[in-house]
Amino acid sequence: MAMTATSAETAHHTSRSHRTGLALGKVLIYAALIFWAFICLFPIFWTVTTTFKTANNVTQGHILPFIDFWPDWKGLRSLGLSPDTLFEVSTVRDEFLKRFLNSVYASVGASLLAIVIGSIAAYGLCRFDYRFGWMKNRDISFFFLSQLILPPVVLAMPFLVLYKNLVLLDTLTGLILIYTLMVLPIVIWIMRDQFETIPVELEQAALVDGCSVWGAFFRIVLPIALPGMVAAFILSVILCWNEYFFAALLTSSNAKTLPVMVASQTGSQGISWWSMAAISTAAILPLVLIGIFLERYIVKGLTAGAVK
Amino acid sequence: MASVDVVEVRKAYGSHAVIHGVSLEIEDGEFVILVGPSGCGKSTLLRMVAGLEPITSGDIRIDGRVVNDLPPKDRDIAMVFQTYALYPHKTVAQNMGFALKMRGTPKPEIDARVKAAAEILNLGAYLTRYPRQLSGGQRQRVAMGRAIVRDPKVFLFDEPLSNLDAKLRVQMRAEIKELQQRLDTTTVYVTHDQVEAMTMADRIVVLHDGHVEQIGAPLELYDRPANTFVAGFIGSPAMNLLKGTIKGDSVVTEDGIKLPINGAPPGSDGRPVRFGIRPEHLTLGGTIPAVITVVEPTGSETQVFAKLGEQRIVGVFRDRISGRAGEALPVGIDPRLVHLFDQETGLRLN
Repeated sequence: MAMTATSAETAHHTSRSHRTGLALGKVLIYAALIFWAFICLFPIFWTVTTTFKTANNVTQGHILPFIDFWPDWKGLRSLGLSPDTLFEVSTVRDEFLKRFLNSVYASVGASLLAIVIGSIAAYGLCRFDYRFGWMKNRDISFFFLSQLILPPVVLAMPFLVLYKNLVLLDTLTGLILIYTLMVLPIVIWIMRDQFETIPVELEQAALVDGCSVWGAFFRIVLPIALPGMVAAFILSVILCWNEYFFAALLTSSNAKTLPVMVASQTGSQGISWWSMAAISTAAILPLVLIGIFLERYIVKGLTAGAVK
Repeated sequence: MASVDVVEVRKAYGSHAVIHGVSLEIEDGEFVILVGPSGCGKSTLLRMVAGLEPITSGDIRIDGRVVNDLPPKDRDIAMVFQTYALYPHKTVAQNMGFALKMRGTPKPEIDARVKAAAEILNLGAYLTRYPRQLSGGQRQRVAMGRAIVRDPKVFLFDEPLSNLDAKLRVQMRAEIKELQQRLDTTTVYVTHDQVEAMTMADRIVVLHDGHVEQIGAPLELYDRPANTFVAGFIGSPAMNLLKGTIKGDSVVTEDGIKLPINGAPPGSDGRPVRFGIRPEHLTLGGTIPAVITVVEPTGSETQVFAKLGEQRIVGVFRDRISGRAGEALPVGIDPRLVHLFDQETGLRLN
């Protein structure tokens, strides 16, 4: 009897200390997650709130709107996007929209081109056996992927000279071409994974049913690989949208994109934080919307074939 | 006429040959089954007939016309794959009508033919469903429906029943056989299951390592296998192949056990042979001293694993046998049911 009582007590104590341990662990994990969420979200919060600050609010380090400072339309007014300037003519706003559209054209254009070329390349690497000198399929795939390892700055001089000679400097075409090159490895990577999850018997059935190789690709393989294509497209758009280095290097007045415009918000009075923040918010907004609404498709496309 | 002729077909991947000069003539309306163990080249051969695999040398003729260089879509064939290969983004009706759509058939005719095929295969209720909403057996039927809607010259089946459970397999076997008889279309069917081959085929082609071992009607292969490979492959449980030497009018094993034969082939005295006797041809109560190892009652019959001297032997008997390991079980052999094979070449002697 005594034995049972003691063991019951011990069991009770162990379970209580066990539960405390579990609770403490949970608290620590949540604390770490909240801390990290704060680190990730604070810059965005700062950017959005700074849009509505004036010069002395920024220099005095006021952070919380309505508590530290009163929001002002100054930032948006300098862009021609405040309620009072929205319906008036504004050269700044026109310029902003021009840069915004440049970003859209460059990102979407490059991504579409990369999807077309990359999908066909990935399909070829998946279904056919190639040989270029000593390189077989695996080597060719690695060659494509290795472009991602290359630091872009290495290509700065060559591309500057090349584009000057081809008269592609400060053109959207030039920008689209280089962005296509930039995202092609990722597209090929994602699409190759996609195509590998599609059984080759489906295409064989299509060949027997009356399709040519291209017919099988367009009618059977592509519709099935669509989630991956959408994911690759979205990822490419995001990468191209944020690209600063080549945009700053290869464009000046015509083809300048949003990231370059953000960086150039300096005047004789110092950095105009509020207009920089305003433009940044406008630059981030499309990506945030894409992320929120299309996250499902991105995950689905990237994890296709991960679980059999 | 939709005959299929395979003439001295060879297939090599680089320097590695996988099919060594296979020749085969399939008549119009015949149901021929290519059977053999994994890796024997049966699927490769089928795919060469389909045009999905290039031929290294030789000819393939469909209806007398050489089709070596024709793409699959121009050979007027239909194929059913092991994994069914149904298009997941199309409905059952769209799957079945796809080939006709590719050919430019007018929509009303496509609908009519799909409906007719669906009725034959009991798929009428599933036409608007997607493959992921169907069971294995239903998907198998859709794959067959896709083939028969085409009304092709030749049906090609690549191990279509391998992915089904045993009970469904038995049911589908009968359905496929019945369908083929009804449509009277030349059919080439690949399987590794010799029971499927025996029950469905008009003729069987036994393949091994890229060679044809024997071609013949099922019972021909059962009654007179041409070599030890076919003897051991056809029939379940496999034929007993005991080592021995011909001495006079019997075969004597190393342990000195005498096995009866129906007259030795002339000039073969002293020749080392393989003595073949099917498990179902052993009888109880004879003079051959087998010793029981394991008794496996299956309900309708009893399988007995025994030893004859040092060699293993299997017997299948209708009677119920209650024996323990180590007990003697004398068995009898009818000499007329014995198969003799040369021990070295494996070729039939009698």
